[in-house]
Amino acid sequence: MGSYLRYVAKRLLAYVAVILVAVMINFLIPRLIPGDPIMIIVGRLSAKGATTGGVELVEQYKHRFGLDADLFTQFFSYLRETLRGNLGYSIIHFPCRVDALIVTAIPWTIGLLSITTITSWAIGTLMGTLSGWSEKSSKFSKIASSISLVLYATPYWILAMILVFAFAYTFAIFPMSGGFTHGVSPSINVGFILDVVRHSMLPMLSIILSSLGWWYLSMRSLIVGLKGKDFILMAEAKGLSKSRIMWKYAFRNALLPQVTGLALTLGNIMGGALLTEVIFAYPGLGWLLYNAVTNLDYPVVQGITLIIILAVCTATLILDLIYPLIDPRVSYVGE
Amino acid sequence: MDLRRHEKASSFLKILSMPFSNKKFVVGFMILAGITLTAVIGDMLLTFDPLRTGRFPLSQPPSLAHLLGTDTLGRDLFAQLLLGIESSLTIGLIVATVSTLLGATMGFIAGYYKGFVDLLIRSVTDTFIVLPLLPILILISCLLRTISIFVMAAILCIFSWAWTARQVRSQTLSVKESDFVYMSKLSGMKGREIIFTEIMPHMLQWMIANFINVALWAMIIEAGLEMLGLGPHNTMTLGMMLYWANLHSAMFREMWWWWAPPVIVLVLIFVSLYTISIGLDETINPRQRTR
Repeated sequence: MGSYLRYVAKRLLAYVAVILVAVMINFLIPRLIPGDPIMIIVGRLSAKGATTGGVELVEQYKHRFGLDADLFTQFFSYLRETLRGNLGYSIIHFPCRVDALIVTAIPWTIGLLSITTITSWAIGTLMGTLSGWSEKSSKFSKIASSISLVLYATPYWILAMILVFAFAYTFAIFPMSGGFTHGVSPSINVGFILDVVRHSMLPMLSIILSSLGWWYLSMRSLIVGLKGKDFILMAEAKGLSKSRIMWKYAFRNALLPQVTGLALTLGNIMGGALLTEVIFAYPGLGWLLYNAVTNLDYPVVQGITLIIILAVCTATLILDLIYPLIDPRVSYVGE
Repeated sequence: MDLRRHEKASSFLKILSMPFSNKKFVVGFMILAGITLTAVIGDMLLTFDPLRTGRFPLSQPPSLAHLLGTDTLGRDLFAQLLLGIESSLTIGLIVATVSTLLGATMGFIAGYYKGFVDLLIRSVTDTFIVLPLLPILILISCLLRTISIFVMAAILCIFSWAWTARQVRSQTLSVKESDFVYMSKLSGMKGREIIFTEIMPHMLQWMIANFINVALWAMIIEAGLEMLGLGPHNTMTLGMMLYWANLHSAMFREMWWWWAPPVIVLVLIFVSLYTISIGLDETINPRQRTR
């Protein structure tokens, strides 16, 4: 157990280091890149007709945002406020705080991604098992393999565009965009939930279809790799039925790497399908990020970047800590 | 000496020609070569600037004069597609080259010299691998207001070499322990010499496969960023074509000739790169052959 504790300590240290790097990147990138956000704000104000101020206004803004202090003071006040959970104010939705915007968006992203990831994992794993176990040149496995190759090679957002065109425009079965019907206020009742489900059908389908290929191909190669292994031959020699060998022997042995893959993907959920949300104007983090990007709302972009990095790193850390406990073959002593 | 050099050259050719006996590799290679040649030759034959707006009648469907029609700004879409393929492939090529060379060098150094250098390189690569890329890339390209093809490639390069470095490091560690490396050490070869003449040739095929994978990765990420409008605005890439098509809602105005061709070409490029990668994988590890 002592070596495990040392492993935990090492991982925690690495985690803190990565988070610090992420915070620093988030702080430095906007400051390293030429261009003055204050001038953009002022420019926008004057475009709206504000003529007063000029130099004084710029100074006032710089003071207000703390940009007149030196870089170190700025960094430490940034660090302090970030640790307090204060991500600043959105420029576009001014009185609104960045953390409030992110908190409203997160449930949509997590809901969409967790359901789709698990569904596509289950379908892909099952299909991969069947096709990997069936005879080499069976029609099913040949067709499934080439389809999943194309699906895997197609980025999910291109699939999303094609789906919108096919099922929202050409055949108007599903709504084109949004998370719920425009003008309806979110509430917990059957009507609203059905509306949400109807709106999320196409985004879900796009993510499921594009990730299905990967799960299928990886499970298939795992199963194919198991064929001819000693314990499979032994089971065959014992005269067990083919389907029994497939499920009880091959499937169960190939499952562990697949479960690891699922866990890793679930950890990446927050940054997983930002672009799908953009195509469907789905009110999650990706859509928020897209709008912030197009409106140059830097605090929001920075806030979302930070949150996604935090979430992904934390999930990876939890996985790393749990995994040696589940799978004894993973050694944590050596490295 | 001459004989040895000749031997080396012929084995080098052998390594390079080996994948061509793999069916998947050949199919992928042909598709990719076809697309690339069409784009490069087509670009040379262009007599007008595909980016100048208002040159042709607006929103025309495909015809003999304009093979893929024109967009809402009066630009020829076939010309745009040719230019787009060329610049998208250029970005993939630059990123793959830089990342493979930089990553391999870093990996060799870390794996061969161990110690503090190794620790330093390993912590940097581990950090880069854990950080989720897309949001950081979005942040950078959102803040950089003017992006050219080379800036785009440079941004992707920063984040792409870490995977290569990590894998080359672990392979170097295993090759390092083999007899022929011990032999060259005994015969007085220097570290740099051993890396380049003894260890590197062993990973040549693997590096080619890595090159293809990074190119694939770079082009997928690139197209995604451009889809958000974060790509180079002063030229045309396949992703930017989709961005413009989306911005002018080509899809809902029945202008399929605007959005469908870039989608088809992108998917073709990705599928061909992916089949090339599978083919290479199968020639390198014959045991992994699934069929």
